[in-house]
Amino acid sequence: MSDPTAATGLTSPVRTSRHQRKLSNYLLDKNLQLRYILLVTILSALISGALGYMIYDQSRLASASIERDLQVLTMADTSRQEFTSILAGKDQALIYEMVALGFGLVIILSAYLVIMTHKVAGPLFKVSTYFDHMAEGRLGAVTPLRRGDMLQDFFSDFKSMHESLRARTQSDAAVMERAVTALRDAPAAADAAGARGGLLDSLDALGHHVATRKKQLG
Amino acid sequence: MTRPGDRSYKRSWKNLLINKRYQLRFTLFMVGLSALLMVALGAWVMWVANETTAVSMTSVRGDACPRLPAIGQAAAADDDVPVQRPSMKLDDGDGSAPAVAPAPGAGSGAGSGSGSGDDDHRRVNVQIDESSMTLTATVPPDLADRITAHWTCELRQIATFDRLERGRLRILWAMIATGIALVLGLALYGIKMTHRVAGPLFKVSLYLSKMRDGRFDKVYNLRKGDQLVDFYDQFKHAHGGVVTMQREDITRVAAVVAAAEAAGLSQHPAVGELRELLARKEKSIE
Repeated sequence: MSDPTAATGLTSPVRTSRHQRKLSNYLLDKNLQLRYILLVTILSALISGALGYMIYDQSRLASASIERDLQVLTMADTSRQEFTSILAGKDQALIYEMVALGFGLVIILSAYLVIMTHKVAGPLFKVSTYFDHMAEGRLGAVTPLRRGDMLQDFFSDFKSMHESLRARTQSDAAVMERAVTALRDAPAAADAAGARGGLLDSLDALGHHVATRKKQLG
Repeated sequence: MTRPGDRSYKRSWKNLLINKRYQLRFTLFMVGLSALLMVALGAWVMWVANETTAVSMTSVRGDACPRLPAIGQAAAADDDVPVQRPSMKLDDGDGSAPAVAPAPGAGSGAGSGSGSGDDDHRRVNVQIDESSMTLTATVPPDLADRITAHWTCELRQIATFDRLERGRLRILWAMIATGIALVLGLALYGIKMTHRVAGPLFKVSLYLSKMRDGRFDKVYNLRKGDQLVDFYDQFKHAHGGVVTMQREDITRVAAVVAAAEAAGLSQHPAVGELRELLARKEKSIE
């Protein structure tokens, strides 16, 4: 979400109908995302490392056993050295295979987890952008989440609240606006003519306030 | 998390799963991946371990044990008597007994009566009891040692096979136990970890529900250890912004109501509407 306002659809000069994911902003909430990614990746690396070591250890034991037998059977025979080097090569190849497998796993897993956690961090980012707008008193329309995003229930709660608040604010603004119009035209009581000026001032202030509020509602 | 305003609320195992979809998805992914790795790599480990065990057993079998000496066999030969193995030839149906494989070195010269080296092997050392003229086979002097050596070796081999098999099984059970412990531990940890995210979301959801109904109560802080602290701060600012909006409305409307009353318009319907609005807004931020 390089342009957060694009997601909220509030004040962006160019509004897009559907915001697309971008590779560059997949890590929206580093603290939340990296925590989970690191946990799962390190855990997987530990399991793979421990079991990989066991595999290597067992394989080396088998090779050592074969080498020992060969040593007895083929004293100082060159074929034994060849076979020993074949076994050593096999063990070495096993290490390379497992290291490559481990790296592949870590890279693929990290990439997948970034995408997976982005589906949580994305909605949170979007909602937090709306929160920022609400803090400034702006209550523009809320656009839906992207397809595949998680926390749909939470977002639904937020949207429901936002729409309710927006509707109530609009209604209140309408009440205040009507009151301003009605009271501006209402004749003051004969014994309170002096207070008319004060009423007009407060009505002006309320009228200005309602105009600001309506502007904030978008 | 029954009352958002309750600041002394503590975590409880009973309500760890407050956002099942989110929590189970992340936890199951973590648990599933670990289980998959454990099973796949565990199978590989067992395959290699089985191979190693087989190789080691073959190696042990290759170390032949000293054979049992036959009583009465020529001591000078110093060779162990090979064990006669039953013939693998099937009974041909003529009722004759199955043929017995001849012992090495005992076949060709049988009955020849010549004094060849093969005959030496067939000679039996005997002791003659002159009084009764009884022939008794002599026992080699190291018979006991050789029997002991043979069976010690046999037992050692059996023990080695047993140890290898136990080692293989130990690997298997260790991996099964580790896998189960890992899956259970990860499931609990995953739920607890995601709860630290789901908890603040749940709390915010409760406040959102109140805000939807037009109530803007005081927002309390998160519990220690909760995540989404920044997100929650933003929510508090948003909540504060909405409360400020209500206060501004109250100030403006109250001023108009007061001015209208001063101007003798207290009975005006618009003023009545403003009073209702004012009362509602004041109640909303109590």
